[in-house]
Formats: sequence, structure tokens, C-alpha cells
Amino acid sequence: MPATQSDLLQGTLDLLILKALALQELHGMGVSRRIAQITGGAFDVKAGSLFPALHRMEQAGWLTSSWGESETNRRAKFYALTKAGKKQLHTESERWERISLAMATALRTT
Amino acid sequence: MISRLRALWNNIFRRQLLDRDLNEELQAYLDLASSEKIREGLSPEEAYRNARRDMGGVEQVVQSVRDVSAGAWLDRLVQDLRYGVRTLAKNPAFTLVAMATLALGIGANTAMFSLLDQVVLRLLPVSHPEQLVIVRETGNHYGNSYGPNTISWPMFEDLRDNNQVFTGMFCRFPATVTIGDDDRAAQIPAELVSGSYFPILGVGTSLGRPIAPDDDAVPDSKPVVVLSNSFWRSYFNGDRTIVGRTIALNGYAMTVIGVAQPGFDGVELGNPAKVFVPIMMKTEMTPHSDGLKNRPRRLSWVTAYGRLKPGISAQQAELSLQPLLHGILEMEAQQPEFTRNTTEADRQLFLRNRIKLLPGSDNKLREDMRRPLWLLVALTGAVLLLACANLGNLLLARATAREREFALRLAIGAGRARIVRQLLVESLLLAGGGAILGLALAFLADRILLRIYLPADAAAEFVVSTIPDVRVLAFVVCVTVLTSLVFGLLPAVRGSRTEISLSLKERSGALSTGSISLRRMLVGIQVALSLLLLVGAGLFVRTLRNLQDLGPGFPTDHLLTFSINPSLNGYSDQETKSFYQRLNLNLQTMPGVESVGFSAMPLLKGYAWQNAVLGKDFEGAPMEEQPVLCEIGPDYFSTIGIPVVAGRAFTAKDEGPAKYAIINESFARKYFPGRPPIGQRFGLVDELEPVSPDIEVIGVVADRKYRDIRETPPAQAYFPYFQGAHFRFMNIYLRTQADPRLIENELRERMRQFDPHVPVVGLQTMNEQIGFSLRTERLVASLSTVFGGLATLLAVIGLYGVMAYVVMRRTREIGIRIAVGALRSRVIAMIMREVFVLIGAGLLAGFSLALALANLVRSQLFGLNPRDPLTFIGSAVVLTLAAGLAGFLPALRASRVDPTTALRHE
Repeated sequence: MPATQSDLLQGTLDLLILKALALQELHGMGVSRRIAQITGGAFDVKAGSLFPALHRMEQAGWLTSSWGESETNRRAKFYALTKAGKKQLHTESERWERISLAMATALRTT
Repeated sequence: MISRLRALWNNIFRRQLLDRDLNEELQAYLDLASSEKIREGLSPEEAYRNARRDMGGVEQVVQSVRDVSAGAWLDRLVQDLRYGVRTLAKNPAFTLVAMATLALGIGANTAMFSLLDQVVLRLLPVSHPEQLVIVRETGNHYGNSYGPNTISWPMFEDLRDNNQVFTGMFCRFPATVTIGDDDRAAQIPAELVSGSYFPILGVGTSLGRPIAPDDDAVPDSKPVVVLSNSFWRSYFNGDRTIVGRTIALNGYAMTVIGVAQPGFDGVELGNPAKVFVPIMMKTEMTPHSDGLKNRPRRLSWVTAYGRLKPGISAQQAELSLQPLLHGILEMEAQQPEFTRNTTEADRQLFLRNRIKLLPGSDNKLREDMRRPLWLLVALTGAVLLLACANLGNLLLARATAREREFALRLAIGAGRARIVRQLLVESLLLAGGGAILGLALAFLADRILLRIYLPADAAAEFVVSTIPDVRVLAFVVCVTVLTSLVFGLLPAVRGSRTEISLSLKERSGALSTGSISLRRMLVGIQVALSLLLLVGAGLFVRTLRNLQDLGPGFPTDHLLTFSINPSLNGYSDQETKSFYQRLNLNLQTMPGVESVGFSAMPLLKGYAWQNAVLGKDFEGAPMEEQPVLCEIGPDYFSTIGIPVVAGRAFTAKDEGPAKYAIINESFARKYFPGRPPIGQRFGLVDELEPVSPDIEVIGVVADRKYRDIRETPPAQAYFPYFQGAHFRFMNIYLRTQADPRLIENELRERMRQFDPHVPVVGLQTMNEQIGFSLRTERLVASLSTVFGGLATLLAVIGLYGVMAYVVMRRTREIGIRIAVGALRSRVIAMIMREVFVLIGAGLLAGFSLALALANLVRSQLFGLNPRDPLTFIGSAVVLTLAAGLAGFLPALRASRVDPTTALRHE
């Protein structure tokens, strides 16, 4: 993870990952694809950011992981939200909505 | 939280498994990514290559995952530590010097602080020691006294029963008793204690029970004893059946009722009590002196302690006790014991006496050692400061040498913070190693210090422990961390500021201009501190020399002394007298002995018997002006070597009823001015009855020092010992033909055969005794010399390092100078000028520092001024020579620079 990434960006990535995992459990590539899909291709999360984030969030207790089989029949690690993760998704979404609303209002004001 | 802890656990202990999992996870990701690319139409090889490229390298991803893992800091710390140990090991000379420097600074500080803490700072090992106070009466007591902190027994009872400020009071009296009545008989320090002693101190027993108020109600009624824990272990081998058994103290059967709790050796530091006896057994424990049963008010002998009630300060208590004391004094002033020998003026003075409360831990050893120990702590502080300067210097030099390494690490992507941290870790490693070595050093040093400070037999059982305690440990840790910050931070901050491009271009001449001035400053500080320590050493060594040269005025070689006290074995006055008379004859026939002198009071032990005298035209005097008195046997003057200048010395025939005295010249001048002293008469003032001047002077001896070697001889009078009625302890002096140590063993054996029950105490030569009395001065002198020497060595190393570096940096310039024709002597002069500027600046700072601090050591000096010019100049010369030599070596090397090599060098 580049040292220049700000907390805001890190928060965004975390929120996107939580959101991506809200429906079902996914492996790393799945998370990446799902984020691309739900953001309409605006975010293309690279492995160098994705995996540190996944591991960090797992250690924070938001995600849990289990080994399963991927589409290519390889052992792959699947991530799912924990209870804490769901709660985090909820509070973070609310916070993000508040911020984006505030930002939008701020930017519209002349 | 729990998941975090588990993650931390896994990260530390299951690291391989995690790495394998991570690899597999990333492989799966790569697989999926490349199969996606294949679907987009790329060949499998190309797809895989692209996927890898998109990913940005598996290793980098692994690393960044590790960086966010719990415990990543631990990882990095271990890495830093490993790297630190490796770099330090790669440069053993540096590491050794650095650690030795630190060990010295930390060790010396810990040793001195342990000693200071235990001897001066720490309170008594009892419950709430801060509430304990010594109750002292100030002013003239108009009676006999066992010391400034004592009061009479009736006074103690009055204060105990009538005060409003103490939860309780107790008193004590230190005595020496003989234990056992066989070959193992020994004299041991005992503490006579009131029944309230143990309950009020809050001290318990590890076996049996302590002395209780019941044990101390009626004189002579309860022959019981409590042993100190350490004495129980050493003398009775920790025998658990000891309680209930009977032991002999001064020949009296005493029942052991308990063993005191470990670590409690009475309330006087440096004089650990081995047995505790109820004070009502005073008559048995101190034969021939009572003070208890007939309740004399003009004999003060017990030290009284009080425990302040909670919420009452010592000042409040002092104030509230004054009216109580005044009432007692009014009553005492009416008594015949007081009125007999005093005037109305004395009475007025007496009624102005006051109560003073001292901290319960107050005592003479503490008082005596406070200043020297603080002084030594200050000296070691200077040594530590110097050690830090030296280390800072060493580390700066190292940082300079490592600039290329840092530049390289920065170039390949290390953060500056990481490099600072790396340097700090190295400093902490050094400091930690130094601290461990220092602690070991401190442990050894304290043992040696105690051995210097105490006589051999006392050192073994002295209560001061050489094991550093938690507080000392905390002190060391503070010093260590502070040290590593001081010397670690400067180079660390500097080191990380290295300009990459400059360093890598290796134009070494162009960089580090900041570091060299910093290093010059550090060397200047070192020189200044060294001068300070050298001046101190010079002053203290010359003080010791002055005192040693002083001498007592009589020949001290070939003089052996010891003391005995048969009366502690229950011998009656008659038996003791006959014992001494037989012993005198016996020792005179001992081979190697020239003559034997007996004296009731010891020479040069710091105390004396003083009493007011009266005569035809003089009477009474305050304590300080009272003459020093002594009872002696025949041959005393010839044995000690004091010439008789008029009249005659005592003979064995000088036994009552007529009373004789021999006086010294000072006594004659003071009391019989302008008259021939022989045949004059005087009397000793006695509180109990009126006296007449009935003692006739039969001889005059020369003035010699008596109490200690610093004094000017006091007025003295001697009386024949065997003329008296009571016989107690005796100091025996033997003038020997050869080295007195040769007959020490023979003498012990002879005394054992003479009477195996009477122990020989304090057998030593006069020179050993004088040497021991100068132990504080010797301790300070030898330690300050060691510190001064080491400081100079450190400063010299520092100066050499800086100058060697300066020369190396200027090699090219010097080469050019020589190439264009500069004489080699000019090159030497050029470098030496820089050396002397450095030394001069340091000396100047040192001089101002030393002059400013001089007054602080005035009281520790003897026979010279704290600004003694000879010492100052001598120290400066020594330092300049040593440092000059250290600077000359690089200068010489500079003059030998070969211009061609120097110019090709870059």
C-alpha cells in the first residue's frame, strides 16, 4: 500500500470491500470484480491494495475467511462479513452518505 | 480485540503457515486473472505475464500484507535488533569501547546511588518510618550525658506519660555485652529497649514473640532476650528450637523468647543490634552503671523515640511539647542535684532548654557520610556526563563513517524514520549492554566500598546490602534511557539527513562540516569535565596526604592495641582489678614486647571522658571547655611515647588514699597560669555531692593529640587507674620491637590461655586504627582519583578521534601544502594549533566550572584552600600533556603525508 494513500481513501476502499461482500462470500479476485461491477468500472482495485486491506480487515474482525474452490478448481480463500463487519458496513455507509451529502452541498454553494 | 490478539499470536508463532497461505491465495488470484486474460484472447504465457505485471509483483504484495499485519512493528523491531547486533558485532573495537564507557558511567552511578540510598536516604525498616522522631533536649543539661540525643530515664517517663502528640513513645540504649562463657565467648552489640519498643516500631518476630510491656515493668525481673534474625542465623545456625532456651549474657542466664523479623537490626544504622533485652535488665547488661533504679535526673542516657499521631507534624508536636518540658525543667531546677553546683545564671539558661524532634532515622553514620556520599554521587554524575559526551562523539564519528551506507539505504527506498529508528535501536542496544555490565560492576564496587569503609568484622554483618534494589534498578534504567537518547538522537537525526547524491559521489571532503564542530564541542566538554574531576582528585588526595602527614604527635609504628572488659563476664571489681594487674605482668614478659600501657579510654577513637574541674580560682565550664580526662596504668606514657616534662610518671605504687594527677602542658597553662604546676590541686565537679580540690598534680607531660588527629591537643589530666574503686573496660597498648602484626596471633593465643572467657576486642595496630579513622577521606580520595584518571583517558580518546578525523579530511589540502613547499614542522604546528585551541577552550570552561563549584567541597578538605592554585595548575598541566600527546600523533601523521598519494587519493 503506497504510503501516500490517505485515511479517506483507505476508508473508501474498506467500505467498498464491505459492500462487495454484503451479498455473498467472495475470494480476492471476486471482490475485485464485484467492486468494478458495483462502481460501474470506476474503481479497479489492484492486488497491491486489495490484499493488504483484506488481511487488515480480517484482523480487525470484520471479515472471516475460509478455504474453498475457485472457478478454475484451485484452492482459494473466500472472505465473508462477520457480525462486526455488517455493523461496520452499516455505520460506514451512514457516515459516507452524510459526508457525500455535505460535500455535495458544499460544492453546490457558490 | 480477541481477533487482533489471535492474529498477533499467529503472526509471531505461525509465521510459516501464514506465508504459505498467503502465497497460495495470491497464486489463486493470479490464476483467475490470467484465465480472464486467456478468455480475452491472449496466449497462456502472455496472460500469466500480464497478470503478474498488473499485480505489481508477488513479493511486493506479500510485503505490504505483512506491513499491515498485527505485530508488524514487532517484526520490524526484531529486524532492527538483528541488524543492530550484526553491525555492532562487525565493529568490535567500537562496541567494546562504547560499552565499557557506558558500563563505567552507569556502574559508578549505580554503586554510589545504592550506597547513598541505603546509608543516607532510606528510612528505617519499620512500619510508617516517616512518623518516627527522636525526642531530643537541646541546651546544657548540667549533668553527665551519653551523647547529644539522650535524655534521662525519669525525663523519658515524664514525656511518655504526659504528651498529647505521640501515639506512643519508646526508648533504647545501645550496650556491648559478652555472650557465652566458653571459647566462643564474644562481645556483641545489644540494644536495651523499653517494653513499648517492638509494638510502637511495628516490628514483629519470625519465631516466638517480641519483648512486651509486661517484660519491662519491674527492674531485674524478666531475664528475656530477642535475637536479631541475622545473628540467630550466624551464631545459632538458624536453630528453630532456640525459643525457650537459655543463653548467657554477661554471665546471666537469659531466656530466648523470640527472633526478630528479618532485616530488622535495631534503629541505628552501622551499629546493628544482635540481641534485644528489656531496659529493666540494665544493671545486669551494664554492670557498674545504673541510671534506672535510683532515677537520677542529671544522667542522660536513653534515646527516646515517639510515633507522631496521624495528622500531627513534627513542628506542631515540637511546639506542643515545649510547655511540658518547661514544667519538668522547673521541677528539676529545684532539686539539690541541680542547685548544688549551679548559679542563678545557670538556672535561667537551663530553663531555656527546648525539645527538638529529629527524623527517626537520624544518626551519626548518616550524618558523617551524607556529604562525602553526595559529593561522590556528584562526581559520578560528572563521569556519566563525560561518558555520554564520549559516546556521542564515538557515534558521530561512526555515523560519519556510515554516511555511504545510509545513503545507499535511502537510495533503495528506506524511510528516514526507519534509519533514525535503526540508529536509536543501536544506541539502546549499547546502553542496555552497558547497563548490564554496569550493574555487575556496581555490585562488585559496592562490596569493595563497604570493605574499605567498615572494619572487617563489621562489614560481614553490616545492614547495607550490596544487591541493587528496585529503586536503584529504576534509577539505572532512567539513566540508561536518558543516556541513549542523549547520545543516540543527535547522530541519528544527523545521520538521516545525509544527502544521497553527495554521499554516493564520495567527495568526503565536502560533507559533514556540521558534525566536526559538534564533535569539537563534545571534546571541549570532555576536557572541561576531566579538569573538574582532576582538580577534585588533586584536592582530595592532598587532603588525605595532609591528614596522614599530620600524625598524632607520638610514634605510631610498632604500636599494637586491643580492648577487653572482664566485668561483662560478671567479674567483681576486685576480680577485675586483680585480672588487670596479673595481665600487665604477664604481657610485659611476652617476647617481642617492649612495654605495656593500660588506659581506660581509647586513643584517637573520636570520643573522650570530659568533666568540669574546680580549683582555688576556677570552677565549672561548658562541655566544650571541659578538660579531657583519662585513667591510666603505670608505663602508659613511656609505651605511647609521651615525654614527661616535669615531675614524674605514675608507678605501680600510686594507689590511694592520696589522690594524684598528671596534667599536660595545656592544662597547666589554662588552669595554673604563671605558677609551677607541680603541687597544685584541683577537683572534679560532681553533681551528687560538693567537692573540694583534693587532687595533687605530681607531673606534667607534653601536649599530644588525643581524640583524633585533626584536633589541637586539649587540656588533659590523667589519673592512676588502680587508684579508683570501679574497674570496667580497658584499652591495652603494646610497644613492640618489630612489626606488631607478627605477634598478633601469638597475642591472641596468650590471651586465650590467660582467660578463655574474656574476649579480645578490636586487636589492631595503631597505624591500622588511624588508617581506619581516615576511611572517608581515603574513600573520597581514591575514588576521585580513579574517576579523574578515567575521565582524562576518555577525553584523550575523544580528542585523538576528532584530530585523526580532521587530518584525514584535510589529507588533500595538506598534500597540496607539502607539494608547494610547506615544511613538515609547519604542518605539525598547524595541526597542533588546532589541538591547543581545543584544549584551551576546554580548560577555560573547566576552570570556571571548578572555581564556581569550589566552595561546595570546602568542608571535605583539610589544610588547603578549595581554590588551591597548585592543584589547579597541576591538573591543567597533566591534562594538557596527555591531550597534547593525543593530538600530536595525528599531527605527526599529517606531516608525513606523501603529496603524490594524497593527490591521487581522490
